[in-house]
Amino acid sequence: MKALLWLPLLIFPALVQSNFILSIFTFSFILAIAAVSFNVIFGFTGQLSMFHAAAFGIAAYITSLTASFFQVSFWVALLPTMAFTILISLVVGSICFKFQLRAFYFAVVTLAFSELARLVILNWNSVTNGTLGLMVLDRPFVWMPGTGLLKIDGVFGWYFFSLTALIFTVAVCSLVLNSWIGRCFAAIRLNEDLAQTLGIDTFRYKLLSFTLANTLAAIAGSLYAFYTGYIEPAYLSINQSLDIIAMVLLGGRSSIVGPIAGAFVLTGLPHMIELSGEARAILYGLVLILTILILPQGVIGTLASLRRAA
Amino acid sequence: MRRLIWLLGVALAASPAAAQNVLKIGQIEAQTGPNAIYGYMSSQGLALAVNEVNKAGGFKVGDKTYTIQLMASDTRGDPKEASIQLKRMLETDGVKFVFGPFLSNVFVTVEPYAKQFNGKFLMMGGATRIHDFIGTPEHDFLIRTWNWDAGPRGFGNLMVDRLLKETGAKKVAMLFQNDQGGKVLVDIYTPLFKEKGIETQLEMFEPGTKDFSAVLAKLAAGKPDYLFPSYSDAHLYDIVRQSTEGNYFRKFFLVRGSLGPGLKSKDEIDDYFVYVPKYFEQAEKTDPKVAKFIADYKAFYKRDFPYDQAPLCSSSCYDHLFMLIAAMQKAGTVDDVAKIRKELLSMTYEGLWKIRFDEKGEEIFNFDVVRLQRGGKIGVSSIDVQ
Amino acid sequence: MLQLLVGQTLNGVIVGTLYGIIALGVTLTFGITGIVNFALGEFMMIGAYVTWYLFDVAGLPFPIAIGPAVAAAALCGFAADQLLFRFTRNNLINGLLVSIGLISIIEAAALLLWTTTPKDMGYVLSGAVRLGDTSLPKMKLVVFALLAAVMFLTYAALSRTWMGRAAYAYAQNPEAAMLMGVRTEGLQSAVVVYSTALAGFGGALYATLYSLEPSMGGLYILKGVEAAILGGIGSLIGSLAGGIILGVTEAVGSIYLPSAFRDAYGLIFVVAILLYRPSGLFGAER
Repeated sequence: MKALLWLPLLIFPALVQSNFILSIFTFSFILAIAAVSFNVIFGFTGQLSMFHAAAFGIAAYITSLTASFFQVSFWVALLPTMAFTILISLVVGSICFKFQLRAFYFAVVTLAFSELARLVILNWNSVTNGTLGLMVLDRPFVWMPGTGLLKIDGVFGWYFFSLTALIFTVAVCSLVLNSWIGRCFAAIRLNEDLAQTLGIDTFRYKLLSFTLANTLAAIAGSLYAFYTGYIEPAYLSINQSLDIIAMVLLGGRSSIVGPIAGAFVLTGLPHMIELSGEARAILYGLVLILTILILPQGVIGTLASLRRAA
Repeated sequence: MRRLIWLLGVALAASPAAAQNVLKIGQIEAQTGPNAIYGYMSSQGLALAVNEVNKAGGFKVGDKTYTIQLMASDTRGDPKEASIQLKRMLETDGVKFVFGPFLSNVFVTVEPYAKQFNGKFLMMGGATRIHDFIGTPEHDFLIRTWNWDAGPRGFGNLMVDRLLKETGAKKVAMLFQNDQGGKVLVDIYTPLFKEKGIETQLEMFEPGTKDFSAVLAKLAAGKPDYLFPSYSDAHLYDIVRQSTEGNYFRKFFLVRGSLGPGLKSKDEIDDYFVYVPKYFEQAEKTDPKVAKFIADYKAFYKRDFPYDQAPLCSSSCYDHLFMLIAAMQKAGTVDDVAKIRKELLSMTYEGLWKIRFDEKGEEIFNFDVVRLQRGGKIGVSSIDVQ
Repeated sequence: MLQLLVGQTLNGVIVGTLYGIIALGVTLTFGITGIVNFALGEFMMIGAYVTWYLFDVAGLPFPIAIGPAVAAAALCGFAADQLLFRFTRNNLINGLLVSIGLISIIEAAALLLWTTTPKDMGYVLSGAVRLGDTSLPKMKLVVFALLAAVMFLTYAALSRTWMGRAAYAYAQNPEAAMLMGVRTEGLQSAVVVYSTALAGFGGALYATLYSLEPSMGGLYILKGVEAAILGGIGSLIGSLAGGIILGVTEAVGSIYLPSAFRDAYGLIFVVAILLYRPSGLFGAER
């Protein structure tokens, strides 16, 4: 039943053929993947990770560099990306959780690792071309029944490709979060010490949550690199992490699909209303503050509780 | 679902039937954000020019009079924002003339998309990376509105020549910001100095650095003759002050930036070479066009004229609008992009600057070299590259 | 080479006190209200711009310009506390995000008022003191003395006055302190406002050394938080020490290693400290 909610998005391009509108949707889908996956560690496990932009950006670099250097397809290039993201998540996560870093300290240490990753990419000129960034000229191919190999190019291809990836992400997250694993995450979020006492291996579950979130963010980063066709060290910036956090908060951190709404609003809103740069920054700040103070459950969470009350 | 309807509504509302005799001009620049200096000044220059054209009742092409509608969005230097904005301009709004971008990361991202519209619009940007694409097949839409450092007519080349001739410098220390602009400067100037037999030292610093003492001390230990520091005033004020107070450097060579930092420490420096697109303080007294521009700027924005920043590009963008209009009038059309481009490339425009484009579409304009020496002695040489 | 090392160590100490004053604000706010006010850098920016305006545009003498600058930062801090931070007490994540929203607003307002064109204030005191081949700008020495004095005064006030002891008590055990008659609301507001005033004071002195841009706050708050963690959150002397360690690490690190990695040196230090001595160098063991 819930799956039917995706239907409007599937037929939407048939109604609106504007490249401008559809590219806002495509960007929203990709950023929504990052936001939904971030919410696994943040909203569902209760750990404020600042490593998300790093996972996103590192993946963007590895996937596109592998694809262009070894002349392999997007899918093959995704394999080393996944392997490396899992590895680095295990390393960073183990360090943080082994040393019992919580709340603010966890945020600071993950932020530090994220900044270190950014500085390495920024200054490793021979491989990453430093601040000048790299153009990504390859495009992914998918196999479609009937048409065979299809190159993902152009606005419709990317629309459906990124939408599929988002649906996949949501499916993975629902599967995990609605299982006993998700209940362990919730136990850690609500009271970590209690969870520990109850025999939940909090170290292992936090590490799992952190790794899962980063791995899904790696998909988002890889897609983003191939869609925009350009990668730069700013992908790993603190602002990128903050944008993702804002999407999650705005949409609602208590639901799996909530962050998608946040991604849409924050990606689309600036293009819907004509505002000067300064006015927009003020509006962004106000939206963030008011959401936290007035709608702490986010847009989707508030709508859901209103419906429950009605 | 409601969001969907809302978006649909916005999409429809955003594309009203084109009003008669309105020419749409787009601009994609970073007006805010850490890399906004160039974009911010450009967007001011263009808005001022548009206001002047419209206040005068528009401009005539053939027997029709056109007014200008300016669509200037803030990219914040984010390639994502810029590419969405450009799509909207080209597809939804049917804009045929886009000013910007000045930022190379933005340009590189929108280039594959913009290429699809080759022949259907003109993109007049200052980004350094446009240099790599201009004049290649499928890139007739590009016009680069800033002159290039290297090459026989390049201003950097002429600046280095002048430095060598006037001072006989043997070794130069380069201190650049670790960003796109800084990286490009390294790539251009390292071979340029080498070619002329000048030794170089190099350090990069993180954007946002305020205290340069350590890196200045490190560079000074190599005993270079001149310091060639960064390109934005935000750093130059700090670098010049800290260099002189710490007794690290008293001689500076700049190809971007302004005279402000040098003047501020005029009794502490020995030599300060600076490339200035136009030395406004002097030009204001001698050139009525410049005086009018400054007066208009103050009246329109109701604030002081930023002598140290404006020359960099605000006014260069300002000139380009009038130049574009002149080209339209010569071509007798506001739609035929190829014809207008041809006129642009064959004309010389005398505005605040004397501007023309080379055969590829890259700009050549006259500039000033200002040499400031201890005590505030100023020598200005105007370089005619035409 | 030794000259270089000595000179840059001294310079690092001075630069570090500027990090330290922000770190002090971070530590105080965190200890009493349980949040990290990331917008402290913006209050520093307010202090700096007001100083610039009063000194350069209005032509007031510098010592007189400092007062209104600190007051302006504190006033904005009071408004922010009453409108925003009052609702995020002891909620770390909400406090963090509200302060990030506030950064966006204050920075945009500064852009509207002063644009991106950097402002470089007239020199209050120029020239340098020479020690052999090392020269230290006079103004930097004055800034160091003033900042260190304010930090020690804060330390003294906290350990000697009733309000200060109340704050200490509250930081250690909120319930017990409340039972002993500490008025939580007032204390928390006072601490938030005091830390913004400290940031404003830091900003006023910053304006005498460096050029100003609306985005200046972002860098300093990161350094301030790093310094607070290095010294140990909750330790007042630790925040000064943390700032100095950070400043010296950066300055000396830049001599021997590529300066493009300058920001990394402090971060590595912070991670190492958090892992092996989570309470910081000067904090009490947890």
